[in-house]
Amino acid sequence: MVKKGVPDWLNSSLWSSPQPPSSNDVVESHEPPASADVKSAVVESIVEPPVPVPPPSVTRIVEPPSSSVHSSTASVKGEIRDPLSSHNGNNNYGNTNFNNYNSEEENGISNNSSTAPIPAVGANTGAVVAPAASSLAEDISSQAQLLQELSRKIINMGELRRIASQGIPDGAGIRSTVWKLLLGYLPPDRTLWSSELAKKRSQYNHFKEELLMYPSDITRKLEKSSLENSEPYGESKGFLSRSEITHGEHPLSLGKSSVWNMFFQDTEIIEQIDRDVKRTHPDMHFFSGDSTVAKSNQEALKNILIVFAKLNPGIRYVQGMNEILAPLFYVFKNDPSEENAVSAEADTFFCFVELLSGFRDNFVQQLDNSVVGIRATITRLSQLLKEHDEELWRHLEITTKVNPQFYAFRWITLLLTQEFNFADSLHIWDTLLSDPDGPQETLLRVCCAMLVIVRRRLLAGDFTSNLKLLQHYPSTNISHLLYVASKLRTHVAG
Amino acid sequence: MVLVLALGDLHMPHRGSDLPLKFKSMLVPGKIQHIICTGNLCIKEVHDYLKTVCPDLHIAQGEYDEETRFPETKTLTIGQFKLGVCHGHQVIPWGDLDSLAMLQRQLDVDILVTGHTHQFTAYKHEAGVVINPGSATGSYSSITYDVNPSFVLMDIDGLRVVVYVYELIDGEVKVDKIDFKKTTDIKPLTH
Repeated sequence: MVKKGVPDWLNSSLWSSPQPPSSNDVVESHEPPASADVKSAVVESIVEPPVPVPPPSVTRIVEPPSSSVHSSTASVKGEIRDPLSSHNGNNNYGNTNFNNYNSEEENGISNNSSTAPIPAVGANTGAVVAPAASSLAEDISSQAQLLQELSRKIINMGELRRIASQGIPDGAGIRSTVWKLLLGYLPPDRTLWSSELAKKRSQYNHFKEELLMYPSDITRKLEKSSLENSEPYGESKGFLSRSEITHGEHPLSLGKSSVWNMFFQDTEIIEQIDRDVKRTHPDMHFFSGDSTVAKSNQEALKNILIVFAKLNPGIRYVQGMNEILAPLFYVFKNDPSEENAVSAEADTFFCFVELLSGFRDNFVQQLDNSVVGIRATITRLSQLLKEHDEELWRHLEITTKVNPQFYAFRWITLLLTQEFNFADSLHIWDTLLSDPDGPQETLLRVCCAMLVIVRRRLLAGDFTSNLKLLQHYPSTNISHLLYVASKLRTHVAG
Repeated sequence: MVLVLALGDLHMPHRGSDLPLKFKSMLVPGKIQHIICTGNLCIKEVHDYLKTVCPDLHIAQGEYDEETRFPETKTLTIGQFKLGVCHGHQVIPWGDLDSLAMLQRQLDVDILVTGHTHQFTAYKHEAGVVINPGSATGSYSSITYDVNPSFVLMDIDGLRVVVYVYELIDGEVKVDKIDFKKTTDIKPLTH
């Protein structure tokens, strides 16, 4: 089993898969040393031929141990077919990748053109058949693994993280459960789930009742006793009796502790939350539009943000929180289990709090310039880039003077939700949430990977074109991006 | 939860130079959704000031108003309640509750807001409730000199109204409230 040293992957940025442990004849294929163990563990139960993308300079392709289709051009197709044939029995997952490529494979398209879309060195177009097929086979395997892991009585979090970091398949509500586990909302012990969920959900409803009440109702509650006495329509005629107000509470009260005053102060925040929620993902029917579904979803988002703002007077609401909230709510609401979907709002609230706890400091304005604030984080990104790719760093920062704040601010504070389409950002979040290093660190690595992947274009560009490129990041193959990001981790170590 | 301010008889600048400062500090924009004014502002500047407190302003014509084109009576619906405004100098005897009840039946409103007497009253009879917010500047009236500045804020919430009465007595703002409920919904119009 030959493991070649990692070639200069920075310049070639190619996709490659690991060798199965049993394969013998290996060509120069790029080999991720650390993640090979990870991936080979995943695939070892499945006979999966690696499907490396042949770079233009390489001629031979690895032979899959189980099949015998081997010509350099047809082998790609053949290798694609093989994992499928061995998994034909398992191809009922609602896996979008699978569905996309299924027809191609089953029809046995003799597409040497399938080799055509293999990315040229350094480019990063998304539609690559070969690696997608391997990822789809991996999807099936990871889905099986996840289901197996989730069905255990006590879930091994480390194992779950490992599997989840490769991407969680879209179907069967797995993502919803896995995210809840990763964010610590559900305990690893399955038996505790129902009690925990019930407790948390009722707590959220309690919050809602308390915090979303109108002041008139609050004052009414305060004076319950005196209300019993006053008979609203006692006599049919006569002067209405005036009664004392309780606690000096009246709508125009300017007292700091007045319920009414606080209500009006909160109204501003509520208005801003309302505006932002209406603008969240306007292209998605789930969030936007006139349907009752969209309206109720918006209502739920609003409630979560309002409750959060009221419970956290230090940070309140900052624009952008709605973007971080949206994927969470989407995933939880689309849980096929009816019970979970109904309580999606409560679950999302707690997971949102958990997720934000790591990133709070990015939203606090006073901390902007401090060691934990957003500026420091951006500087760390810059440092990371410098360590891995000094040439690019120099070109960006010094030659073209693209201040990382111009692009990285949005990447970091919004956890990349605005840079990629929704499905891709869910995939990225799988990795962010499951990485044992923590979301902050992983995020920086992914950002660095984003820069590295487009390095050719960046190196060739000036300030304007670079800024334009980075602020409208081109769509790329997410698996490739995440792979590069994971390599960044090992590269530093090695 | 709709906040409706009812005030009137300011007689600015003739009889009162300004609202009491304590009232003015409370009347900040953004809190109140509607203003019902019984009339006798009298000048345009007061109208503009009230517009800054709340853009939705309903005024009835008072006999001293310099703007002559306000309506004599006005009705509007807020939530489940129909409200009517009239200055009150047209209803004779001034301030007589039975006569005001007649006007209320005529306008077919649940709450009638009138002024002219510069005295706060809140009276209930079979047809509904009559509220007189008094004079917000405390200016003298045709009837009496002894007037405390006062105005009324109604919190309309479904079938319930909480009426907060703000009065300036001896330089201090005193707030009382009155609670009442309506028994029937407004019947939906069939068309």
